[in-house]
Amino acid sequence: MKRRKLLLGAVSLMASAALVTGCGSTTAATPTPTEDPSGTITFWSPLAGMDKVAAAFNASQSKIKVNFETVPNGSGGGYAKLSTAVTAGNGPDVATIEYPQLPQFVSNGQLQPLDGLINKSATVDKLKDETKSLVQFGDKTFALPYDAAPMIMWYRKDMLDKAGVGVPKTWDEFEQAGKKFKAIAPDSFLTSFNPNEASLTGALAWQAGAKWFGTDGESWKIGVNDDPTQKVASYWQKLIDQKIVKVQQSFSDEWSADLASGAVVGVLGANWSATGIQKRTEASGQKGQWIAAEVPNWGTPSDAFYGGSTFNITKSSKNPAAAAKFIEYLATNSDAIKARGNTGSAFLAFPGLTPVAQQAYDASYFGNDIYSVFDKAYSTITPGWQWGPNWDITNTALKDAYGKLTTGGKITEAVDTAQTATVAGLKQNGLSVKE
Amino acid sequence: MVTQETTANAGARQSARKQRSMSGTGGRTAALFLTPFFAVFTLAMVAPVVYSIVLSFFAQQKSGLGFGEAKTSFVGLENYLQVLQSESFVGGIGRLALYCLIYIPCMMGGALAFALLLDAGVARARKLFQLLVFLPHAVPGVIAALIWAYLYTPGVSPIVSVLESGGISLNFLDNHMILPSIVNISVWEWTGYNVIILFTALQAVSREVLEAARVDGAGEIRAAISIKLPLILPALSVIMLFTVIGTLQLFTEPSIIGKATASVTSTWVPNMWAYDAAFNRHNLNQAAAASIIIALLAAVLSWAVTRFSSRMNKA
Repeated sequence: MKRRKLLLGAVSLMASAALVTGCGSTTAATPTPTEDPSGTITFWSPLAGMDKVAAAFNASQSKIKVNFETVPNGSGGGYAKLSTAVTAGNGPDVATIEYPQLPQFVSNGQLQPLDGLINKSATVDKLKDETKSLVQFGDKTFALPYDAAPMIMWYRKDMLDKAGVGVPKTWDEFEQAGKKFKAIAPDSFLTSFNPNEASLTGALAWQAGAKWFGTDGESWKIGVNDDPTQKVASYWQKLIDQKIVKVQQSFSDEWSADLASGAVVGVLGANWSATGIQKRTEASGQKGQWIAAEVPNWGTPSDAFYGGSTFNITKSSKNPAAAAKFIEYLATNSDAIKARGNTGSAFLAFPGLTPVAQQAYDASYFGNDIYSVFDKAYSTITPGWQWGPNWDITNTALKDAYGKLTTGGKITEAVDTAQTATVAGLKQNGLSVKE
Repeated sequence: MVTQETTANAGARQSARKQRSMSGTGGRTAALFLTPFFAVFTLAMVAPVVYSIVLSFFAQQKSGLGFGEAKTSFVGLENYLQVLQSESFVGGIGRLALYCLIYIPCMMGGALAFALLLDAGVARARKLFQLLVFLPHAVPGVIAALIWAYLYTPGVSPIVSVLESGGISLNFLDNHMILPSIVNISVWEWTGYNVIILFTALQAVSREVLEAARVDGAGEIRAAISIKLPLILPALSVIMLFTVIGTLQLFTEPSIIGKATASVTSTWVPNMWAYDAAFNRHNLNQAAAASIIIALLAAVLSWAVTRFSSRMNKA
């Protein structure tokens, strides 16, 4: 209750601030960040190369010292570690959280709002609305986005040529291409369906205009099996039934082996998939054959994010002012991107940074200009998507239900199960939910 | 000889009496030796258990959109009810029961057979075989699970491809095969360990008794069934106890295999259910309740096993 009042107070304060600035006043009414913070802070991240970024930051100034610690990624238990550490009061000052999990950390009260700590007009305000809405809740900003990760379809161009099909523009064309491909390679698959990646199903639904999570006044509206999602689910079920796509865990040994052998000739991924594809297929002489393409659509070009990380200040930080300086550097400074070096085909949310990352990355393995595809895909992100207050419930429910896919289960049933589990889980936590 | 023994006995009795009379210092010495144990035991065992029990009676309730502070309130046994009413928790227990039903006979039978063979001296290079049988247990559980995940994965596994070329297509990781596949890992891991325990017990069986049996005309098999088996029953019941408790703690193998297949759900066995409650659903209170239920289950089962085996031993 107390928190709610505080929140309301902050909101009205900010509203009046907006009014003041709207009236032409040039002085910022938001509390000014500590001008010259100093001290030592800790930074946890599973992202490769972040140690170098922290070192570059330490070298660039002398007031703030960042201690970097590598943590496992989310599926490797990184979030469990972070959540436990913050609850126990010994978490890091700065953490790395992906978009789907962010609201749940906010909802658990494990993050500090950045308002008043960061220079908003030079950071969040410069972002695209689709990205901004993923890090702002109840008029407060809780994270600075690092990468924006447009969902991308990767193909073996030589196999498409062999099947006599062009790059599919729509999902309908994708199915037709699959059938033609099956005719020339009956034992191979156009791509795989990944039961371990519930957020990929989320991205496909998002692209189709679904809204899994939304708010209606003081209640959550949950639509994990809404109409667009049902459409996506039955479409992919059709692809599985026709053996156009193979049900397999992405990043598994089986998946790697199939990509290398050509048993699977496509990857539904994102901009960051490039390194993984190269690593798994380079030894089989597939250089120059892989291309990036916009994900097929339902009629008009549209896309969604699949993955992407944000930087945040945790509740356990005793020096949020210094932490804020550091996350501004991480998310918006081109020196931070340069320092990280070549760590893959990064695509960054803050304007002007992507060219820096592009320069560090050698994309010559691929048969087309992958960054221009990323740019196009990024410009078509469907607006209005929001992640829910406890993604892990939906995530595990969907993954668990997908376990039956290889023995007769259906994707359509799985999204129904996930809907029921999400609603029940949120209600059990005391949240107000409307279906 | 006889007199010497009696005097020695008398001496021992006397010194025992003397020690008992110095019970004051004895108590102090005992305290000195026991304190470290009880300190660690309290810190690492009693305190967490008590904390879990306390946690399990409370619940954190949020309201509205959930972005406000959560309220902690006393809910009595509600967490326990929720756990026991949860389909996935009860399903996990059922799965575990099925697992025991396959695992215990396979592992115990295998261990007993190996131990009897080693003891009968059928195996020539006894020391070598002892080592070979024990070797899998020396591989840490996580590594074992990773190796087996590799051996089960279609497209990667040499076993699967050999079977396929022989016309048998078997997916070890699908929904139907996953339980036997995991049982197989445990059998592989634990049989050797238990062979050693049983073999040691067999070595202690008095050779005179066996000789007498042989003189009476018992062959190796008859001797094994009628003489050795009844005499190593205590060892068997100890193994049974450890196995039952160990089975309830099943966690590592399924969670590692779960990375290779979607067939292992996040709440596959009760321990995974508790983990999921704590770290995915962020419901520490429910996780505490689930852990207490698992602990109680372990207590009841161990009591049942010891009760049953002591009756067997008497008979």
